[in-house]
Amino acid sequence: MTERHSAESQLVTRRTAIALAGSAVASLALAPDQASAQDGFKFGLTPVFLSNDLELLAVLRAYLTEAIGEPVELVSRRTYQEITALLVAGQLHAAWICGYPYVQFRSDLDLVATPSWHGKPLYQSYLIAAADRPAAQWEELKGDIHAFSDPDSNSGFLVTRALLAENGLKPEGFFARSFYTYGHRNVIRAVAAGLAQSGSVDGYVWDVMREMEPDLVNQTRIVRRSEWLGFPPVASSKALAGDPRLARLKDALTAMDRHEQGRKVLALLRLDGFLATEPGLFDAIAAKVDAVRRFG
Amino acid sequence: MSLLRRLRAIPVSYRVPLLVALLMVAISAVISERVLDRLSRTQESFLDGLAGSYLDGLTAAVLPAVLRGDVWEVFDALDRSQQSYRALSPIEAVVTGADGKVLAATDPTRIPSFSDLPQAYASRYGSTTVTFDRNSDTGFAYRDLVHQGQKIGAIHTAFDAAHIFAERREILATLLVTNGILAAIFSLGGFLLVRRMIEPMRVLEDHMRAAAKGVAEPISPREFPARGGEVASLFNGYNALVQAERERANFAMQLAEEEKLASLGRLASGMAHEINNPLGGLFNAIDTLKTHGKTPGVRDTSISLIERGLNGIREVVEAALATYRPERSARPLSADDLEDVKVLMKPELRRRRQKLDWQVDWPAELPETIPGGPVRQAVLNLLLNASAATPEGGAIGLSVERTANRLEISVSDEGTGMPRYAIAMLSDDDPGPAVRAGRGLGLWMVRRMVDACGGTATVKPGPSRGSTVTLFLPIGKNAKDERSHAA
Repeated sequence: MTERHSAESQLVTRRTAIALAGSAVASLALAPDQASAQDGFKFGLTPVFLSNDLELLAVLRAYLTEAIGEPVELVSRRTYQEITALLVAGQLHAAWICGYPYVQFRSDLDLVATPSWHGKPLYQSYLIAAADRPAAQWEELKGDIHAFSDPDSNSGFLVTRALLAENGLKPEGFFARSFYTYGHRNVIRAVAAGLAQSGSVDGYVWDVMREMEPDLVNQTRIVRRSEWLGFPPVASSKALAGDPRLARLKDALTAMDRHEQGRKVLALLRLDGFLATEPGLFDAIAAKVDAVRRFG
Repeated sequence: MSLLRRLRAIPVSYRVPLLVALLMVAISAVISERVLDRLSRTQESFLDGLAGSYLDGLTAAVLPAVLRGDVWEVFDALDRSQQSYRALSPIEAVVTGADGKVLAATDPTRIPSFSDLPQAYASRYGSTTVTFDRNSDTGFAYRDLVHQGQKIGAIHTAFDAAHIFAERREILATLLVTNGILAAIFSLGGFLLVRRMIEPMRVLEDHMRAAAKGVAEPISPREFPARGGEVASLFNGYNALVQAERERANFAMQLAEEEKLASLGRLASGMAHEINNPLGGLFNAIDTLKTHGKTPGVRDTSISLIERGLNGIREVVEAALATYRPERSARPLSADDLEDVKVLMKPELRRRRQKLDWQVDWPAELPETIPGGPVRQAVLNLLLNASAATPEGGAIGLSVERTANRLEISVSDEGTGMPRYAIAMLSDDDPGPAVRAGRGLGLWMVRRMVDACGGTATVKPGPSRGSTVTLFLPIGKNAKDERSHAA
């Protein structure tokens, strides 16, 4: 599979008709077995960040290819779960995943780097509602049709789930209905269009998108901000710990802000850079997982 | 009805072009209707095809998501499809699941997910792929979502058909304007062409109308078509007719003149007799004067005799002059005219030893509407005829009576009754056949006078024997106009 074709395939899986998604996924599903061996570095992307930007994907791949010294393939999937599974299975060398799967598979994963936003490797989860809705408390969202991002997303599911659990509630009892959109941008679209009355969304995505697509995002407003939590990190499979390319990846990421091509990537991502962080950064998320588990 | 009558009142030279114009308008209306009908069918089949492919696309896009009950993906597919089918201008699409509840709609604020589909949606579809609602300029289409032979949901769509109706209106307007202009051009062309074609008929019509009013003029050579043909022969025929009519009129006038002279001859012999009678006495008186002129008694008596004899002669001469001097004909009828007739009749009556029953009650105020000359001539003719028909020693009668609006002049005789042609000539609506028989010219002159006055004449059998001819001459302004016109 050529590079150009794989880039198109990523585009297809992200952006075009759902009807085509099945066949595209099927064709990509063949890729890992061959590619994880030697010919190319596989870097997984989740919908956690703004992966629907072709320019960003091109610049990121160019930067990583140069830094790692061999061709880099960017692998996207519709759900977090698929990427996480590929990563844990060692079919991806590294992936930008969410804090929630990282915490779940902490024993199988190594932390490579964590993005820094506004100077810290932290972000928030937002509960959003339509802009013209006067709700001031998250409790007022009871009875809504609620849009979650992804069942394996921290900000797009776990934070809200944990909030309800801490209050002795469950999503299916609190919300009239809920559904997954498999993308933070989709949550914003769903709430803006009125398909859902409220949604759980990545605060970083919401803030950045407000700059890029103000017409869409301004149709929504924030009802509740969560506490600051560990930003979705880049992780690698423990099974591939000895691969020297992972060290080069870590260097490339942490040095991104000192490199022209890298700064271009960061500018597109609206990030400051990448930091080498300790796993403890994600303890707050782990606590939420526990809270949910305890509640049942 | 009155429209039809009014249409009939329009002259042919306008009516035919007008009908041609109306025909053009009707043809253009029919053509417009056909074009529009065809257009609307083409549009509808085009739209059916478009809506069909739209529904096909939507079905392919949402079917997997509907199977999973994935609200977001259904919405996402609908949302994106709204952008990709611009030609159809979709307004709304709603996808329902197997349970009939809404999975997602393009406008979730109006039709929320998980709600029941509004009743109106189920009843708005017809038998065709696309059903139109003219009131809201909207088209509706519906498709069941079937997977492995089972219905798993449905797609309800509505799209804006305003542009289709607008296109139709636009084409209608274009057609109307174009056809209107064409119809106007063709109508004008047809009008001018037909008018040109029937122009000779109009010329003929004008001449006929003029002829009906009494002024029959031949068609001048200038008005003849350059190339001859049917029209020329028609015109020639008309001109020959006018010529014949004129000759006939001239001939009739000539005959009338001769008749006048003939009656004059009869009168002249009577008058000669009338003049001759006193002449013997006059010569006797002159002899007496020569012989005994010195005797005063004898002289006075003789001069008186001569004077009376000359007066009688003058009366006869004056009456004759009055009858045959044309400038006197123009004045209105007066009692003098009848007195003259009496004088003129005297010799004939004496010759035939007949009596004249004179019952003239001359009205005090007779409007000056009845011409003196012709009436006098007519009465004289009638009296002469009556005298001729009545045996010697018999009696003829003249009575004149005025009613409210007419003058009635009756002449009676004691003859054996008037011949049929004479009665026809006086009283039939069309005296033509009788006139053409060439008899009774005196009566025909009477009839002409009566017609010219706008009056009528009747012939009735007398009380015991003979006949009575009565002339009814209207008195009044209308009669005067008509008479002066006819003169």
